[in-house]
Amino acid sequence: MAIIEEPLALTSGEQHAERPLGVLTRPQADGSWKDWVSTVDHKKIGIMYGVAAMFFFLVGGLEALLIRTQLAFPENGFLSADVYNQIFTMHGVTMIFLFVMPFAAAFANYLIPLQIGARDVAFPRLNALSFWVWLSGAIFLNTTWIVGGGGADCGWFCYSPNSGVTFSPTNGVDFYAIGLLITGIASLVSAVNLAVTCLNMRAPGMSLFRMPVLTWMLLVTQFLLAFALPVITVALLLLLFDRQFDSQFFDPEAGADPLLWQHLFWIFGHPEVYIIILPSFGIISEVIPVFSRKPIFGYSFMVFSGIAIGFMGWGVWAHHMFVSGIGPISVFAFSMATMFIAVPTGVKILNWLATMWGGKLNFTTAMLFAVGTVTMFTIGGLSGVTHSLAPADTQQTDTYYIVAHFHYVIFGGGVLGLFAGVYFWWPKVFGHFLDERRGKIHFWTMLIGFNLTFGPMHVLGLQGMSRRIDTYSSGFGFEFWNLVSTLGSYLLGLSVLYFLWNVYKSKKDAPNLPPPGPDPWDARSLEWSVPSPTPEHNFDEIPVVESQDDWWFRKYNIEDDGSVVRVATAEDAAQKGDAKGVHLPSPSFWPLVLAIGLPLIGYGVIFNLWLCVVGGLLTGGAIYAWVLEPVDDPDADDHGHDDHHDGHDPDGELAAVGAGDNEGEG
Amino acid sequence: MSDSRTRLLGVVALIGLIAAGCAGGAELDTLEPQSDNAREIDTLLDRVLAIAGVIGLLVLGAVVFMAVKQRVKTYDGDDEFPEQISHNNTLEIGWTIVPAIIMVVVAVLTTVVHFSINETEANAYEVEVAGDSTSWEPKIVVVGQQWWWEFRYYFTEDVDADFLGDPRALPPADIVTAGQMIIPTGQEIELLVTSRDVIHSFWIPALNGKRDARPGFFAPWEISADDPGVYFGQCTEFCGLSHSRMRMQTIAMDDADFQVWIDEQMVPQTTPAENADDPVSRGASAFIANCSSCHLVEGVSGDEEVVASVVSQAAPNLTHFASRTTFAGGILNTYTEDGEWNRDDLSLWLREPEAVKDNYANGLADGELPRGMPNLGLSERTISDLVAYLETLGPRPSDEIIAATEVE
Repeated sequence: MAIIEEPLALTSGEQHAERPLGVLTRPQADGSWKDWVSTVDHKKIGIMYGVAAMFFFLVGGLEALLIRTQLAFPENGFLSADVYNQIFTMHGVTMIFLFVMPFAAAFANYLIPLQIGARDVAFPRLNALSFWVWLSGAIFLNTTWIVGGGGADCGWFCYSPNSGVTFSPTNGVDFYAIGLLITGIASLVSAVNLAVTCLNMRAPGMSLFRMPVLTWMLLVTQFLLAFALPVITVALLLLLFDRQFDSQFFDPEAGADPLLWQHLFWIFGHPEVYIIILPSFGIISEVIPVFSRKPIFGYSFMVFSGIAIGFMGWGVWAHHMFVSGIGPISVFAFSMATMFIAVPTGVKILNWLATMWGGKLNFTTAMLFAVGTVTMFTIGGLSGVTHSLAPADTQQTDTYYIVAHFHYVIFGGGVLGLFAGVYFWWPKVFGHFLDERRGKIHFWTMLIGFNLTFGPMHVLGLQGMSRRIDTYSSGFGFEFWNLVSTLGSYLLGLSVLYFLWNVYKSKKDAPNLPPPGPDPWDARSLEWSVPSPTPEHNFDEIPVVESQDDWWFRKYNIEDDGSVVRVATAEDAAQKGDAKGVHLPSPSFWPLVLAIGLPLIGYGVIFNLWLCVVGGLLTGGAIYAWVLEPVDDPDADDHGHDDHHDGHDPDGELAAVGAGDNEGEG
Repeated sequence: MSDSRTRLLGVVALIGLIAAGCAGGAELDTLEPQSDNAREIDTLLDRVLAIAGVIGLLVLGAVVFMAVKQRVKTYDGDDEFPEQISHNNTLEIGWTIVPAIIMVVVAVLTTVVHFSINETEANAYEVEVAGDSTSWEPKIVVVGQQWWWEFRYYFTEDVDADFLGDPRALPPADIVTAGQMIIPTGQEIELLVTSRDVIHSFWIPALNGKRDARPGFFAPWEISADDPGVYFGQCTEFCGLSHSRMRMQTIAMDDADFQVWIDEQMVPQTTPAENADDPVSRGASAFIANCSSCHLVEGVSGDEEVVASVVSQAAPNLTHFASRTTFAGGILNTYTEDGEWNRDDLSLWLREPEAVKDNYANGLADGELPRGMPNLGLSERTISDLVAYLETLGPRPSDEIIAATEVE
């Protein structure tokens, strides 16, 4: 493993004619679509994650609107119970696994290398693999509508024995299990990759405690993923074995205890909540200081509370099971643990407020979304505290009060924060702004739509409306707030369409507007020290980091009397992005090929085992090809002089990207 | 400052929403407790909601305050920076400790209520069963299955998991009923909640929190009611297709009425004399021919509970069916608003059960067992005979109970 200790020397660009030992050659960038499917560039991969996740946001959103339309009126016949059950299951699965997680992965991919001063992630081909495997899993999961006899109909936590063949005879649950296994592989690969990147690829001087809070939160997230996903993997495999091969892990008829599934699911499922929320916490920890013109307040408390949440998140899973019958002592223990996870969370909220306190608040769209995140998450967090009271939870659990709570956390705390990031980093990624005026309209419609949709659910839950019911009778007092909620959801849907319109219009208008320059927001972290959009090689020179918020201190100095003096303009301090001949990892098709094999194996398990052989050959073949292809293409124009590891060093990418001549340490 | 004003309006609206929720009074409302346990839970929630509300308002207020006071339009041409404060350890340690102290207070409140409501040891209750006075350890076995609830009363046995065994083959009970559980008012009743198929959740919001019914396990829970009345509930653990149509009620009666109810339920039904001109008599024959392979009317179609050929192996016991005010898993009423026998809904259910409540009972593959009541293709005449016969499986409940079963 190469640990980078000095800036990467620029390479001379000298040609090398010798062919490598392997029989395969690597594709070259030619400016066509092939660049995208063969790319190993963390920025392109990040963009693809973002675009694909946004597509699934629309899919999941459409499912949400179908749910709300059905619930608009009592005894509504818009959807049958059967279809409704499939829709709400797939809505949850889609939003969590196919939207929020990959959308956060988009930020992680794009920003971690930039924020720590690296040219790419530690394992660029593995990074491409993560994306393609995730996408193949996501598509596989949704083909259930066409070939699976409908979607899974068991709820996103798919409690056994309702998930067994007897009670869910279509293939929906099989698609659920295999689809999540495939996307789980993607997340696991990505988690290891990004954690190694954070730990090993930091620029000189970028000590762990100089890393931006976003990178820190993403690092914690990667560790949560790395430890949580194996648990759900085990559970899903057992479920799949039960359904496909008549094993009896969850069959109470055979003496199994259905609580086994619940424990396994929530040991994954609760850390999953923090996997969803921590990236958003990180994003707003970048946005709020910039638009308050102050450093983040209590950096070390922010970092340690994030780590504390990461640890404590493992000790609270059974608060999802307060009424499952796990015994009063267990319930008590998990109730107490859950209460005290509110402490580090509260610290974060107070530190964000303290960051704003006394600052000059510039309410750009990004800042609006960030402050919206703080306030909406506070509501979700406080309703969460009311669930931690185990006795009160016996009334609330599985009602709309819970539905309200977790949407305030996941949408209010998670998605609004991700949108803050979208507006904040858009100019860095695409070289033009998202229009601010339209952005603000987007924010307010989304915030109002969100509160109209999910606010009334608190009331409905306390009025006793159960979760996951496809309809309700009149007379229970549910009519009014359900209608309000449905109308709110339409407004929420419109706000998302308006965002897409903003994306389209901003792109169209961009040529007539001044470019944003490297640092349009007067920001603090290293990604703003390179031109916008980020050049392919990220940094002309790997920066040498001297402090936290290093980039800000290249522009400003704090005098002894505490006043801030500008020492350089952003344009002068920023890199020019014109370095030539920077050695970058070569593209590869094999991650894509490998990823295509996995859903074939999935279809094979369900329909015909021979398909597994085809998929297995494709995947296995791609692994061999991957190993045998040279580390980079000797014919490539911008190839450097470090040919001596060609084709011999399967880990060579790490060396090639991070350390150039230093790979002898690898 | 329009942004901040809008947000302020939002806060006011939110408080309004919560207030409106509290003003409910509908049948499933969790904020209208009618028993000791429910009241303890409600008080706990009220206290913590108050704390949470204050904290929430402080946070929102701080944001609004800053948005008003500290807002700038742009940074263009502005090189003035606010004081660059990066941390303050005293403050930060302070606001780590203060939330921790608040949570300790909340934890103490919670602990007291938690152990109080999990105390399920109920006092013995004197009832007369078949003429003998007996000291009943008041326990009711609650059994969920797709998509209805069964309630079993054992007055003389020592009821525990060992005695009960397999939820699919429970020992014969003194009284077996469905959809409605009858309890004496002001008496703590211990529940043993289980399931014959998937996980369900038993919940009467006015009387207590919920408890999951899980196959292979008898979950202890408790219920009681301050006053006589009909209390509504809804299955709250997603249990498949007709989860939304799985409801239940608890009826609390005063001691005398409860004793009368026991006496009536303990009497087996009698078969009406054969008479081809009498719809009741024809209905009884039709019941034995069409229904008795799954449903039992004690004294008419046998004495032993039947193993129904459905996945859960159970169908509602219909003995004294007309003494209940609800059927079809708690979603239809046996009597109309006017107190008449509800012929329309009963006929609808017998004619086309899948239209009332989705199920997996028709057009099944070979070897697949039904879940829910199949459509038997009964003739209109048979349906009307059956409806007439079912009305005789009384005695008819009191007018108060019939009226209270209506959801306004």
